[in-house]
Amino acid sequence: MKNLVQVALGVLTAIGGFVDIGDIVASTATGARFGLALAWVLVVGTTGIMIFAEMAGRVAAISGRPVFDLVRERLGAGMGLANLLASFFITLLTLAAEIGGVALAIELATSVNYLLWVPLVGIVVWVVVWRLPFETMDNTFGLIGLALVVFLFAIWRLHPDWAGLAHSALHPTVPQGEGHPTYWYFAIALLGSAMSPYEVFFFSSGAVEQRWTRRDLIINRTNVLIGFPLGGLLALALMCTAAIVLQPQGVDPSHLSQAALPVSLAFGKLGLALALIGIFACTFGAALETCLSCGYTVAQYFGWQWGKFVKPAQAPRFHVVVLLSILAGTLLVLTTIDPIQLTEYSIVLAAAALPLTYLPVLLVANDRDYMGDKVNSGASNLLATVYLLLLLVVSVATIPLLVVTKAGG
Amino acid sequence: MQAAGRVLDAGLKLLDRQLIDSQGMLAGKVDDLELTPSEDDPKVLYVTAILAGPGALAGRLGGRLGHLLERVSNRLRDTAEDRPARVPFGVVKRIGSAVDLWVAKEHLETDRVEQWARQTIIAKLPGAGDAPQ
Amino acid sequence: MRLSELLGCEVVDERGRSAGKVHDVRMVQDGPPIGQFGASLRLIGLIVGRHAIGARFGYDRGAMKGPWLLRQLAGSGSRSGRYVDWELVRSVDPAGARIEIAGSVDDLSPPEPMP
Repeated sequence: MKNLVQVALGVLTAIGGFVDIGDIVASTATGARFGLALAWVLVVGTTGIMIFAEMAGRVAAISGRPVFDLVRERLGAGMGLANLLASFFITLLTLAAEIGGVALAIELATSVNYLLWVPLVGIVVWVVVWRLPFETMDNTFGLIGLALVVFLFAIWRLHPDWAGLAHSALHPTVPQGEGHPTYWYFAIALLGSAMSPYEVFFFSSGAVEQRWTRRDLIINRTNVLIGFPLGGLLALALMCTAAIVLQPQGVDPSHLSQAALPVSLAFGKLGLALALIGIFACTFGAALETCLSCGYTVAQYFGWQWGKFVKPAQAPRFHVVVLLSILAGTLLVLTTIDPIQLTEYSIVLAAAALPLTYLPVLLVANDRDYMGDKVNSGASNLLATVYLLLLLVVSVATIPLLVVTKAGG
Repeated sequence: MQAAGRVLDAGLKLLDRQLIDSQGMLAGKVDDLELTPSEDDPKVLYVTAILAGPGALAGRLGGRLGHLLERVSNRLRDTAEDRPARVPFGVVKRIGSAVDLWVAKEHLETDRVEQWARQTIIAKLPGAGDAPQ
Repeated sequence: MRLSELLGCEVVDERGRSAGKVHDVRMVQDGPPIGQFGASLRLIGLIVGRHAIGARFGYDRGAMKGPWLLRQLAGSGSRSGRYVDWELVRSVDPAGARIEIAGSVDDLSPPEPMP
């Protein structure tokens, strides 16, 4: 019975924790500009993160080694360091974006400028990471994040043209007024929002934090196979509501309030409140995950003791890195850079950096010395290889598209 | 104890592996190996120590970045000596997917930067010594 | 000396022909006892010329089988590797990243795969 509760908790946390500021911005923007023409990318991205996270979780459970530990072992010290610098930088950007997202959500609720909230958010993020036990932290914000389900209900309430929506999703075309390069740029952004590297660092390190073993593989599988697709459904709901409400008006969303607009149209103040609570919980939870991931990547490359499963005094360098990362992220947001733009950059660069961490995980997942009989099956290898090739293509295409489309402008 | 006569490729089996101390705590990575000539025949080289820490890693990375890393790490370790932190090979217990050690990390030279971080920063924050969460 | 000083060195034979760069170093555990480890590790040979990535990926060992595509890409590099017995080494110049060996590169054979 307790196991069933644990499994259910894991699934619910995975659903509520799936969405972060990157998903919110990407799904809303693509919904508003392209309708459902990019919905297929959410399917591809969600499947991708499922494959990636399942492998990383399995590797962590069987070998006891999280992703970045393996990156150095498989790529060597030199390439591993290059990988670390890229991954850390992008995770730090994402952390800043999440802190910005939390501040924006509070601004929407209080009408007090987000910049004034940023330092407070930074401090609270650090205090929570410092004091709250890992599982409590993970579960709390994951569960509260389920409030985003209001977007799903909003679709019904808005009485959309179902046939039209279905057609737009199943027969993707680039709408009038948008170019093809922009379409593909947004496709990459959407993919990066669904397949964030930090999620995998966090997921695999979390598996070690929670002392997963062989017996927990089933939890790993259920979290991933049930939780992630349902989480992806929430992102799809964001895209849908934006397509229904914002696209006909030709709105190009540049404020978080526009993401929540469809819900307030559907359910009024109550709906808006739920949406804001959901957005707050998701972005705050993601801020916790990203700052820990900043610590995980650095500590795991250098071999330092890391984790919340030991006393902070036993992992001092890890905690210093986490603290400095939160500080850096907070300062970055305080430079008054547009948080939405910051988010867009973080997800696009994340998409470009995916092969760096995906490859070592794929290799170790095939290594019998580490995995015993739990190596990838031939079928999963085929799928995993297809994704690797896809990620390489995405990686190469990102910077050119970024330049050509002037960052989706 | 390792079986005698075992053959291994050092780059694959030793370099960049995680060091785990006698308490199961993580104690750094094998950044480099110290090779010492035999007293009888200088052409014969034995592995006498594992080198770990920024100073040793600097040697692997080479170039200006490497030298900078090495100088910074020597300063942090509070030593005038111009060499990286050394883990004598005699404390190695087992070479597997990680390298297990016979001693606790506090006894290793490589722990100095960790201790510095603990004393200078972490110990000043409330709750640093609280039970793990 | 440090292991890193050997890695990356160019190995040249008596006639100045290059066998490639050192990518790994083979050791046997038959030296004098050291601390609580047992017999110490003795350097017995150099793995030269093999594309480092393939070996790193682990496809030399029997334990790695898939995925098929990566195995193909990695495998094409590993067949060009050569093993240099330490006895053949005449001089080591870490600063110049150069190791001179006796004999000819043609006499070198590929390394025996490790289990």
